[in-house]
Amino acid sequence: MKNLQNKVAELFENGTINLMIGFKNSINKLPVPCFIEKAEQIEQLIFTPECKGNLAVYLHKPEVKQAKKVGILANVATLRSIVQLTSENQLGDIEKTIITINAQNEILVFDKMEDVEAYVQANFPTYTDEDKKLLEQLSNMTREERWQFWTEQFSACVKCYACRAVCPMCYCPQCTVECNQPQWIKVSSETTGNLEWHTMRAMHLAGRCINCGECGRICPVGIPVHLLTAKMNQDIEAEFGSKTGFSCQSGYALNTFKPEDKEQFIK
Amino acid sequence: MEIKNIKSTNIPAFFDQLIQSGKVVIAPVLKKSGKVFFESVKSYSQVATDYIQTGFSAKSVVFPKVEELFSFVKNEDDIEITNNLQNIPETIVWGLRPCDASAFDYLVEFFLRENPDTYFAARKEKTTLIAVSCAKADDACFCTSVGLNPGSTAGSDILLTLMGEDVYVEVNTEKGKAAVETSAALFTPSEEKSKEEYLAKLTAKFSIDEIKERIKNAYESAEWKHESMGCFGCGACAFACPTCTCFNIEDEGTQNSGKRLRCWDACGFGQFTKHASGHNPRTNQTERRRQRLMHKFKYSVENLGIVSCVGCGRCIRVCPAHLNIFENILSVTK
Amino acid sequence: MEQKNQYIPYKMRIANITEEAPLVQTYRLEFIDEKDAAQFSFRTGQFAEYGIFGEGESTFCIASPDTREGYIECTFRSTGRVTKALANCELNDIIGLRGPFGNSFPIEQWYGKNIIFVTGGIALPPLRSVIDTLLDQREKFGEITIYYGARTVNDLVYKAELEEWKNRADVNLFVTVDPGGETPEWDGLVGFVPTVLEQNPPKSDNAVAIVAGPPILIKMGMPILSKNGFADSDIYTTLENRMKCGVGKCGHCTVGKTYICKDGPVFTYEEVLKMPKEY
Repeated sequence: MKNLQNKVAELFENGTINLMIGFKNSINKLPVPCFIEKAEQIEQLIFTPECKGNLAVYLHKPEVKQAKKVGILANVATLRSIVQLTSENQLGDIEKTIITINAQNEILVFDKMEDVEAYVQANFPTYTDEDKKLLEQLSNMTREERWQFWTEQFSACVKCYACRAVCPMCYCPQCTVECNQPQWIKVSSETTGNLEWHTMRAMHLAGRCINCGECGRICPVGIPVHLLTAKMNQDIEAEFGSKTGFSCQSGYALNTFKPEDKEQFIK
Repeated sequence: MEIKNIKSTNIPAFFDQLIQSGKVVIAPVLKKSGKVFFESVKSYSQVATDYIQTGFSAKSVVFPKVEELFSFVKNEDDIEITNNLQNIPETIVWGLRPCDASAFDYLVEFFLRENPDTYFAARKEKTTLIAVSCAKADDACFCTSVGLNPGSTAGSDILLTLMGEDVYVEVNTEKGKAAVETSAALFTPSEEKSKEEYLAKLTAKFSIDEIKERIKNAYESAEWKHESMGCFGCGACAFACPTCTCFNIEDEGTQNSGKRLRCWDACGFGQFTKHASGHNPRTNQTERRRQRLMHKFKYSVENLGIVSCVGCGRCIRVCPAHLNIFENILSVTK
Repeated sequence: MEQKNQYIPYKMRIANITEEAPLVQTYRLEFIDEKDAAQFSFRTGQFAEYGIFGEGESTFCIASPDTREGYIECTFRSTGRVTKALANCELNDIIGLRGPFGNSFPIEQWYGKNIIFVTGGIALPPLRSVIDTLLDQREKFGEITIYYGARTVNDLVYKAELEEWKNRADVNLFVTVDPGGETPEWDGLVGFVPTVLEQNPPKSDNAVAIVAGPPILIKMGMPILSKNGFADSDIYTTLENRMKCGVGKCGHCTVGKTYICKDGPVFTYEEVLKMPKEY
């Protein structure tokens, strides 16, 4: 960690960054997000394979944007989020210094988004074994069985919106649920309304979610929310051939029209 | 207060007798996700015992996540309003931790001391709280920092402490007595014993009296921004917390028929204080996070004389960014 | 003991509708159940939650004086979901009312004193309740002076009442519109309310001032009053915040430890200065 910390100290000293978003050790042996603004805070910085959180979400925060020159410790998920966000014309208002540590334990500091893109494409992740198993189970279910599965899961949802809060792709300044004229999505937590919320969110994320799995990991009631968008992304990749978080130019499958698209209605 | 003893092998029988008595019994249940939540159960075999703390508190028994205030129907020239307060069942909550039971004391003061809340009162009256002492704690627990301890009887009708083959039973109220009566034969009288060796050891992170003093000047602390940087503004901490009581009132249905509901709300949400005009007194997440901590350690003390944080640690465990309330408090009161 | 369920509204019938200004209306409401009417009473300064079943509730002051029985009035601007639904109501429609909530102006402490009102735009309704309450017992008070302004002539609320007050010998009325807001027929003052206040300063001897209005009016008006000798404890205001329950439970309206709904909405400026600056 010393090498990483020294590198970060250097970036502060030469004025490349005003704020470093990274990880630190916390209680219960958890790596948690940390925000470094002063030299004496650098010694808590760590970056290990256990640092699974997706820090890209913080790049939308007003307090982070205020710092202008922001460094970020990025695992592959975070890198892919940054690539996807770039392809959606986000993040143009901060000067990013993106740092990762590769499998050979080398510290890489990315200068250009092209380099991030290349790295991501060379290290494109697959699903974890557990998720692969669950996705296969879902695929093998009948429509009724899937409905039953998700209805049962979402009956436990309390509408805390932690899934939305932690998602780097949920950056709308006003979320649909915050509109009350009309009240598109019910405020109260009950199964049908919860299903509406999650279905709507999955539709907004289809073709944009990079499957970091954070939403499912942090759900306080243990709903595997990430599987909903993972399933949608599998379908979108099959139908449109596009991978999310892969290229800074790709835009997003559901609002991109190509002459070779199958649908006839627009022709 | 009465002190009794029951063999630990007789606990399932006592539990099942409570079920037989016709009451709704809510107890901790291990879910597929690996987390433990309070749910209605039908037998002791469903009850989880090897865990530190449940994901959410038991407050939903007296303050449900959705409460129907009333339903209404428009007919001709009138509107008929109905509410269901008569249909609340007798309920036993089993397996609360002492921190959770103490939280009920706070809820009682908050909801009933001034402008008594009809719905809370109706539910609390029908609720019996059977708490279980903590033999283990994790790093997120900090009850001893806020003046409580893993064997506190505050707020519970009965407190059970496992002591090897026996269970030490502190019967604190008439409701507790009535619960014990359902299986009177299983209990024997006991002399007072020390629980010390059977309880988790938890070193206090701070002195609550010192924090209560220092927090008087904490509003302007420069540390709030840094301590709140991780906060996303979701409602997970407030919903998991046993003493958070903020709610929204929402109408559902149409103007012809529908319901008025009371739903959990959270001061962390961006819209919480936003006026219809668009003006928002708490414009950023730093101010919103400050509100939550100031409320727990200062405003509830000023209004009710109670620190409303019970050190259960749930907010730390459920937070997507794992923000740590006691670290934050120490930092802003430096 | 059966305690009152504070979430069940009274049923009220809309007995009269007055269009005050663009998007601003006054509703006169009467209790449908006579028993409710008989036991309902309020003090000037208190507010209520006005509800459209199926849409929700909105918080406004009670704009009529507490000296009159049998009805209450509210004045509101159509802003969000509930006020828009309210504005769509017609005569005889039923709406819900919960209240009265909050504290009230300490009228009894003001007997024999001179009373100054400084307000603007849609902030006149809460003070209109006080003004009419005082005028209904005029002999108990000294001089009554009102400074009121709006952006344009059309935006002035209670136009008929303003005429009445103008024609009373026992009321000093300064009505103004913002520069550019006057019409050719306008014969009142032109200028922002703080400017008019500064140019016609009230005397502070044996006087209290009640100020209500948008933040800019408070920010500019308070120093003028202080300069003219008003102590912070002699200046009163009525605050607003997002409210839902009205009884100090839902948590939306808090400023520090203070609940604007149950500890207010009436505060002295001295009390306001002690609160954290988040309102």
